[in-house]
Amino acid sequence: MDAVFEHFAKGQVESNGYELSKSLSPSLPNEQLRAIWKSCNTHSVKGVVKRHVHASLDRMNVFAAKEDPKYVQGWIDVYTAYWKAVGDLHAARDPASDSKGSQLLWTKVYESWRELLNTILRGYNSLGFEAWTIPCLYVVLKHLREFALKADFERNNSSSVDTAAQSTFQDDFNPESDQNRVLEDCARQLNRAFNACLTDRSELENSRKIGIYYVINLLFKTYFKLNSASLSKNVLKALQAGRGDMLPLEAFPKSQQVTFKYYEGLLCFLEENYVQAEEHLTQAWNLCHKDALRNKELILTYLVPCHLLTTHTLPSRKLLEPYPRLQKLFLPLAKHIKKGELHAFDLDLLENEDEFVRRRIYLTLERGRDIALRNLLRKVFIVGGFEEPKAEGDKPVRRTRIPIAEFAAAISLGSQETIDNDEVECFLANMIYKGLMKGYIARERSMVVLSKSGAFPGTGV
Amino acid sequence: MASATKDEKAPAATTDKQQPDQPTTEKKPAAALEEDDEFEDFPADDWAEEETEAAAGSEGTKHLWEESWDDDDTSDDFSTQLREELKKVEASKKR
Repeated sequence: MDAVFEHFAKGQVESNGYELSKSLSPSLPNEQLRAIWKSCNTHSVKGVVKRHVHASLDRMNVFAAKEDPKYVQGWIDVYTAYWKAVGDLHAARDPASDSKGSQLLWTKVYESWRELLNTILRGYNSLGFEAWTIPCLYVVLKHLREFALKADFERNNSSSVDTAAQSTFQDDFNPESDQNRVLEDCARQLNRAFNACLTDRSELENSRKIGIYYVINLLFKTYFKLNSASLSKNVLKALQAGRGDMLPLEAFPKSQQVTFKYYEGLLCFLEENYVQAEEHLTQAWNLCHKDALRNKELILTYLVPCHLLTTHTLPSRKLLEPYPRLQKLFLPLAKHIKKGELHAFDLDLLENEDEFVRRRIYLTLERGRDIALRNLLRKVFIVGGFEEPKAEGDKPVRRTRIPIAEFAAAISLGSQETIDNDEVECFLANMIYKGLMKGYIARERSMVVLSKSGAFPGTGV
Repeated sequence: MASATKDEKAPAATTDKQQPDQPTTEKKPAAALEEDDEFEDFPADDWAEEETEAAAGSEGTKHLWEESWDDDDTSDDFSTQLREELKKVEASKKR
C-alpha cells in the first residue's frame, strides 16, 4: 500500500497526472498485488486508506482542495475501490486460488474494476477532481476494457452453467451478442466516460475535454471489436458538435492523433468515402512513429486500396519492403494491374479472398479491375502507333481511331476467355463513363474514336 | 528454412521451462487478439517530429507510390500477341 501512496503523494504534490495514475495501475507483479491486498481487510480498509490519503495530501503546502472534505472523501473512495479490485485481480491471476474453475473470476475483476471507474467518474462529475488527474481515467478505462475481453473469453471457454442460466431469462437469445456480453457493458461505461469529458464546461486549460480523444479511441476499438463500427459515427457527431470549444486535434499527443486518424479513416473507408479515407489515413501515416511497424502495416492495409481508387497509384516494392504480409497481399495484384492481365488479377483476388474479405478490402480491390482494364486498353492504343504525318515536320499524332475488334482481342487475351463484341462495347462504354478513357464509340463503323488530347487521362497519353 | 525451424524451436523451449504456475488464461486471449486489425497502443504517448514516419521517410517518399501503368511492358511482344489474337477472332467469325 505504501508504494501506491508514494505515487499518489508525488502526483498530488507535483500536479502530475501520469505520476498519479501509476498509483492505480493493475499491471503489477502478483506478489505486489498480494501485498496490497493483504495490507488490510474489508473492515480496516476504509481507515487505512483514509490515513494514507490524509498523510499524502498533508505533504502539500498550499492547496485549497485538500481542505475540501468532499474531495478528500472522493480519493478515499477511489483507493478503497482499487484495493477491492486488486484483491479480485490477484485471485484471478493466482492459479492456486481455490475457487478457480467454479467461478468466473475475470467477470468479478471486471465488476470491481467498474466500481473503481464509478468512483473516479463521481470524482470528476461532482467532487472537484481536476483535469490534470485525467491520466487516472485513462489507466482505469484501458484496463476495464482489457478485463472485459478476458471476462468474455473466460466465460465463452468455461463450462456453460452460467450461459445456460442467462439464456433462460432472455426471449431473444442471441448467442453472438452473448459472446461479448461484458465488452458490451464496457462500451456503455466508455460512453459514460466520454460524456463526462465532453460535457465539462470548465475553461479549456482545466477541462476534462483534454481526455476526450483517449476515450474516443478506446470506444472505437471497442465498437470495432463488437462489430458495430457504425456506432462510432455517433461519437464523431457528438464530437463535431462540441468541436467549437475544444483544443484542435493537433494539440493532443501524437499517439492519440494517429489512433484517432486511423479509425476515422477506416470509418470513411467502410462507407466507401475513399477520398476522405485517404486523407485521414495519410495523416495517420505521416504522424505515426517510424518504428511502430504493426500500426504502420495496419494503416497501409487500407491506404493501398484507397490510393488505387483515388489516385490510381500502386505501392512500390520499397514501400512494402518491411511488411511481408502486405507484399503477399498486394504485390501480385499491383503487378497484374500494371500489365493489364485481367485473368491473373482475378486469380490474385481469389487466392487471398478470405484475407481480403476479413480485412474488408475485397470489394475495394475488386474495383481495381477497372484500372487493369484501362491499362490493357491503353496498351492497344500505344501499340497502335502513329498516323502518317499530314505535312513534313508535323508533330506525330497517335492513331485515335481504333477498331473495336482490336480492343476485343486485347480483352480476350487479358481475360483468357472469348468475349463477344457487344460485351466489349459495354466495357468500353463503362471506361468512358468512368472517365478512365476519353472518346466515343462509333457503332456503325465498329470503331472507337479516342480523344487526341489525353485518350487515357492522367497517364501521359 | 533452417533459420525458420530454429525460430520455431526457440519459443517452444522457453515455454517448457516456464514455471507451471503461469496462468494460461492470460495468454490465450492475447493470441486471439492478434487476429484482428486492432490498432496497437504505442509504447510512448508522444514523440518528436523527427521520429514520425513523414520525417523518417522524407527522402524516399516520392518513390513509395508508383503509377499504375507500365510502359516498359508495351513491347513488340504484346503487339504480336494482339495481332495473332485478332487473326483468331476474325477467322472464327468467317467460319
